[in-house]
Amino acid sequence: MEDSLIIAGQTIKNRFLLGTGKFASYSLMRDAIIASGAHIVTVALRRVDTQSSEDNILEYIPKECIIMPNTSGARNADEAIRIARIARAAGCGNWIKIEVIPDNKYLLPDNAQTIRATEVLVKEGFIVMPYVNPDLADARRLLDAGAASIMPLGSPIGTNKGVCMRELIKILVQEIKLPVVVDAGIGRPSHAAEAMELGAAAVLVNTAVATAEDPVLTAQAFSLAVEAGRIAYRVGIAVPKDNAEASSPLTGFLR
Amino acid sequence: MLSIRVFYLDKTMRVRINGEDFLFTESVNVAGLVAQRKMRPETVVVEHNNVILARDKWEETLINENDTLEILSFVGGG
Repeated sequence: MEDSLIIAGQTIKNRFLLGTGKFASYSLMRDAIIASGAHIVTVALRRVDTQSSEDNILEYIPKECIIMPNTSGARNADEAIRIARIARAAGCGNWIKIEVIPDNKYLLPDNAQTIRATEVLVKEGFIVMPYVNPDLADARRLLDAGAASIMPLGSPIGTNKGVCMRELIKILVQEIKLPVVVDAGIGRPSHAAEAMELGAAAVLVNTAVATAEDPVLTAQAFSLAVEAGRIAYRVGIAVPKDNAEASSPLTGFLR
Repeated sequence: MLSIRVFYLDKTMRVRINGEDFLFTESVNVAGLVAQRKMRPETVVVEHNNVILARDKWEETLINENDTLEILSFVGGG
């Protein structure tokens, strides 16, 4: 049976999304993208170092990938809107991951500012993927604002703690008619599978891949876990029971 | 680090680029500035006094005293 992920009318060929930060080199990043089959990859915008000439990350991202700039560094809606417009002017299309983070300790997003930025950018024709705390009322506001998906955090960015927000994410999956992409805090492939088993449409990972001893194999492991979790969600997960139930026949041989 | 370039001692022009002050003695356009700084034009976006400047406007846009320029490019990010 067909099981395509469609975001903003586009078929996304892989439910594993990869962030490109923190890789030891761009070539390693490229190999990880290819090994995982990621179709959407995120990038960030930074001031050019006027003292040195830097490599162009875009040359290392396979042509078939959708490049989704993020608004990292934005502390409010206006900064996020400004970064989004600059990113689009750079010529990589109109996808944007909005992240508005006023807090440096936990890197938690500001949902109210994110909603405001989403409202403005959707009207300007952006495909908006907002990174948010998993809150049902805010998710409804984002749906109304025209967001293309909703990206709740599993746990704070870079913590590798997994899907700590699982009950709230499950509610979003059940109630919001948008692809739910679990972003941040996914530290191991089993976390990614768990998010998918909950019914997430996709998972975005960066730190756990980029800082792994072997980012290429790790990217592949995450991608496989996402696929396994997706299949498990579609076919239905077995219900836990208190009493044992034999999987082999217990009688008819020795007695 | 504050980098100041002074080519002549009289009539300098202060320009803020990526948060740092630079002094110029000659008028320069945005295309010239990008070339001077050895940036690859196809990889950068320029914001001139808070307005995004399309690449085809770089030649005709002269930089003036007290202008603010942000020159940005993509890097890795999650």
